Amino acid sequence: MPIKSYIIIPQPDQKQHLMEDIGGMSGCEIHPAENEEVLVLVTDTQDETADKVLLKQIESNRNIKHISLVSGYE
Amino acid sequence: MKGKTIIFFIILLMISAIVIFDLSIRQSNVSASVIPEESSDAIPTTMLESEVFNLQDLAIDFSKLQSIESEKTLAEYYENRAYDGAPPKIPHPVLSEKGIGGKTCLQCHSTGGYVDRFKAFAPITPHPDFLNCNQCHVPKKTDQLFVSSQFKRPTPKRIGSGVLDGSPPPIPHDFQVRGSCLSCHGAPSVAKEIRVSHPERVNCLQCHAPTNSRQITWERKSTEEEGGTE
Amino acid sequence: MNDTTENKELSRRQFLRMAARASAIAAAATMFPGIVFAEEQERMIEKLGAADVKWTKTPCRFCGVGCGLKVGITDGKAVAVKGDTNSSVNKGLCCVKGYHSVLALYGNDRLTKPLIRKNGRLVESSMEEALDLVASKMQSTIEESGKDAISIYGSGQWTIPDGYVASKLFKGAIGTNNVEANARLCMASAVTGFLTSFGLDEPMGCYEDIDHADVFVLWGNNMAEMHPVLFSRILDNRLKRPVKIIDLATRTTRTSHASDKSILFNPQTDLAIANAICYEIVKKRWVNTGFVEKHCAIKEGKTNIGYGLEEHFKFKDEAKNIDFKAFENFLEDYTPEKVAEYSGVSAKDIKYLASLYGNPNNKVMSLWCMGANQHTRGTWINNLIYNIHLLTGKISTPGNSPFSLTGQPSACGTVREVGTLTHKLPHGVVMNEEHRKMAAEIWQVPVENIPSKPTHHTVSMFRALDRGDIRFMWIQVTNPMVTMPHLNRYRNGAKKDDRFIVVSDVYPTPTTDIADVVLPSAMWIEREGMYGNSERRTQHFDQLLQPPGEAMSDTWQLIEVARRLGYEKLFPWSEETHIEEIWKEYTRFHEGKKHAMAPYEELKTNSGLQWPYVEGKETKWRYHGKYDPACKSDTFDFYGKPEGKAWIWARPYEPAPEVPDAEYPFWLNTGRVLEHWHTGSMTRRVPILHQAVPKSYVEVSPEDAKRFNIRNGDQVKIVSRRGEIVMDASVDQRGKPTPGQVFVPFFDESFLINELTLDAFCPISKQPDYKKCAVRIEKV
Repeated sequence: MPIKSYIIIPQPDQKQHLMEDIGGMSGCEIHPAENEEVLVLVTDTQDETADKVLLKQIESNRNIKHISLVSGYE
Repeated sequence: MKGKTIIFFIILLMISAIVIFDLSIRQSNVSASVIPEESSDAIPTTMLESEVFNLQDLAIDFSKLQSIESEKTLAEYYENRAYDGAPPKIPHPVLSEKGIGGKTCLQCHSTGGYVDRFKAFAPITPHPDFLNCNQCHVPKKTDQLFVSSQFKRPTPKRIGSGVLDGSPPPIPHDFQVRGSCLSCHGAPSVAKEIRVSHPERVNCLQCHAPTNSRQITWERKSTEEEGGTE
Repeated sequence: MNDTTENKELSRRQFLRMAARASAIAAAATMFPGIVFAEEQERMIEKLGAADVKWTKTPCRFCGVGCGLKVGITDGKAVAVKGDTNSSVNKGLCCVKGYHSVLALYGNDRLTKPLIRKNGRLVESSMEEALDLVASKMQSTIEESGKDAISIYGSGQWTIPDGYVASKLFKGAIGTNNVEANARLCMASAVTGFLTSFGLDEPMGCYEDIDHADVFVLWGNNMAEMHPVLFSRILDNRLKRPVKIIDLATRTTRTSHASDKSILFNPQTDLAIANAICYEIVKKRWVNTGFVEKHCAIKEGKTNIGYGLEEHFKFKDEAKNIDFKAFENFLEDYTPEKVAEYSGVSAKDIKYLASLYGNPNNKVMSLWCMGANQHTRGTWINNLIYNIHLLTGKISTPGNSPFSLTGQPSACGTVREVGTLTHKLPHGVVMNEEHRKMAAEIWQVPVENIPSKPTHHTVSMFRALDRGDIRFMWIQVTNPMVTMPHLNRYRNGAKKDDRFIVVSDVYPTPTTDIADVVLPSAMWIEREGMYGNSERRTQHFDQLLQPPGEAMSDTWQLIEVARRLGYEKLFPWSEETHIEEIWKEYTRFHEGKKHAMAPYEELKTNSGLQWPYVEGKETKWRYHGKYDPACKSDTFDFYGKPEGKAWIWARPYEPAPEVPDAEYPFWLNTGRVLEHWHTGSMTRRVPILHQAVPKSYVEVSPEDAKRFNIRNGDQVKIVSRRGEIVMDASVDQRGKPTPGQVFVPFFDESFLINELTLDAFCPISKQPDYKKCAVRIEKV
């Protein structure tokens, strides 16, 4: 049951879109910064496979400029 | 011959440049020390983030001392003060009651090191510029109380707050009178639970974010952009 | 829901999610300084740490320095303190008392219910019954023995509203000038010093002078222990630039060790030394003649003025003009060589001191407190220090500052500014008809109500209580049964039948022991109030805590009694807003550029504001047009005196009333230690402070100790003409008196050193001298 957190920097002006897209996915919690174009994402999945699938889905989103893992618990 | 002369001139030039540069630095120091501070309005003398680097000269020593385990626990650390952030008591007999502390205290507490007399490493003060040590730090002469107290110390902050193994823990306290990180997190004199494994990396704030002192960074922001963020 | 239960409810998974989120937020914060996440996440971070601590500003409860604190509150309890970095007084640094001040609220024996003496014993009662009794006793005493048979005795720990309501009730409503405060024992000489030299009370300078001065001369002032935060500011300056600290004292202290030079003098000879400094300044032509001619007048007063030991002692000084030549002649008696003979200070050292003051390139700050004030010639020594600054023109400009420090948090704010002394009104004195008219108008009372004659100063008031002229006394926030000199007499007097004593306090003390009614008080941040510190800074604090049990603020106790006496109309304020309304009424007394006070709203948000507060600006230096809007010119204007001229006084050396002789060969000096404040009723209940200095002791010089075969910790008996005491000897420890002198801290109620002290006082200020009387010592 991996739990991981990421910092996401959206493409210009895409913060809101990205929040809605990713926030709507199951196992994803999104926390936007109020004054910066930055999102914090926490993922919570059943197993490693589900985690990988989810990450693939997220990474495919074109509104993401940059995503980096901060901490993770397997 | 000609080449030698040129080299000689270059050397001469460099020496004079160094001398002039050095002089100018000295002069600027001198004049800075003579001119009284113009206005002391709200200059917080006890809250300097730059103090983070105070003990960087000792960082390598601390890293060499990594193999020596701390004997102090965090519980003992808290036991020695009324609340988190209160000035700690002096837990040993003092050499002299006479002065204000100053050199007497700093001979052990400015750089730390092993003190044979007390069979312990001396803790390092995070604020060696405050010389009136006895102003805040007092010894304990008796275990008895005049009247018992109902004061309850608040639960100390949990260490490693909000992190998992491997990610840098945020800083749960502010920098007031304790901005010098390595004083309390570097040497073998510190509580083992809060001693860092990597004292040689002196730029602590690069990875450890202040959580309780958000005020500091926010204020900086709000002066740049009107209509601050809080 | 509190944090602990909420934390328990978190499942491990939730916790991990929260942790992961928190570390991502923390990482983001390092990448984007100033980044803000939504409220919820903020709280999450804190929940993972300790319980929420709310920090609020307040001035410190203890000394007159008036440090700004931030008190941390969790779940309705004060749990921590840090220095207020917004306060220019201490810039975030406190002393050990300040850091532990909140612990003083939580001693186990806090008074939470009123006590009434029934059949010789104090028994618990209700506030209703106790206040009824106080009011009816006041009423009946007035009916039987007249208005001047009742009195109130407060202190410099009174908040400004406390003192104001006390003055309005006693002077305005009831009509007696029997209002005094223990600040009389503490800084009355500072007041008379200011009034005689400048015509207006309180310092011209401020703490910022410390950052400008080159030389600091401490006149009998153990600043390292008594005003540690300010002393640290001096030391901080010494680290940055070349400054000199001269400790001029009768005893070697921590301050002496930290100073650049320690000069020891024989008790009482400070008067001669100050005159000798002036002699040198005149002789070496260091006088700032332009300044003296334009801005000073020279006066002489009465001499051989007595010591106030006689019952019904009266004294009134008279100022006569003299010219500079006559002043020079007066100084002829004080050549450094002549003064060296009896002061114990070498002529060389006196000349050195004079040169520090005389050097036109030096900015000099003189600092003093109890050493100069608790002095049978206290007014004179204050005048003499001003003389030195006036002769050299080193005054009222940054770094040139004769600075009188105070010992209590609101000695200036309440006692001096509100005027809770027998002769004072919030503006001016009772003797002045205009001042009485102003008070009557603001108070809405007939002007005839306010008597035009002062009655009793503190010592006289307790003598009157002993004699029976005063039969009712209400004592608030002070502990006279520890602090009165010649204590046995005044305690016996207070205990006499047919005397009724009401004591408002927070803990049991030797004073509550003799009370007929004890009223539990709300302490410090358990109520709203203001203090005024030594540098004319008014500091407001909010109510941050609920007082325990039935404890009630001293202000509200007075209002409750006033209403029971039928003065509801004069005290109409509501419990919620009375402090604000009192402030608005009180500050009407101080309108104008010379003393305007900051408005309530600004006091609430600022960490203290200095008066005169004119058009939104503080006045840091008074009497100089560049800094003080009340000045009529752009240079010096001592507008408190006629023609804008400060007075230089010819004041001679006169000996102390009781000097060591064959039978009592030692001087007894009393004072404080860093860890304890005043009579220790608060600080002794703070574990760390009590454990640092658990009991009082007598310091004996190493030479005398050898002579009497006394070792550190031995029992020593001290005997004066008035009492005796046995206590531990302290030889060559923290402080070291000169041979022929002993020193005892007065904080310990188990060792009442004031049973030995003498109740002689300065005839002008009426402030007793706790620093000098004769004793003998014996090894027990």
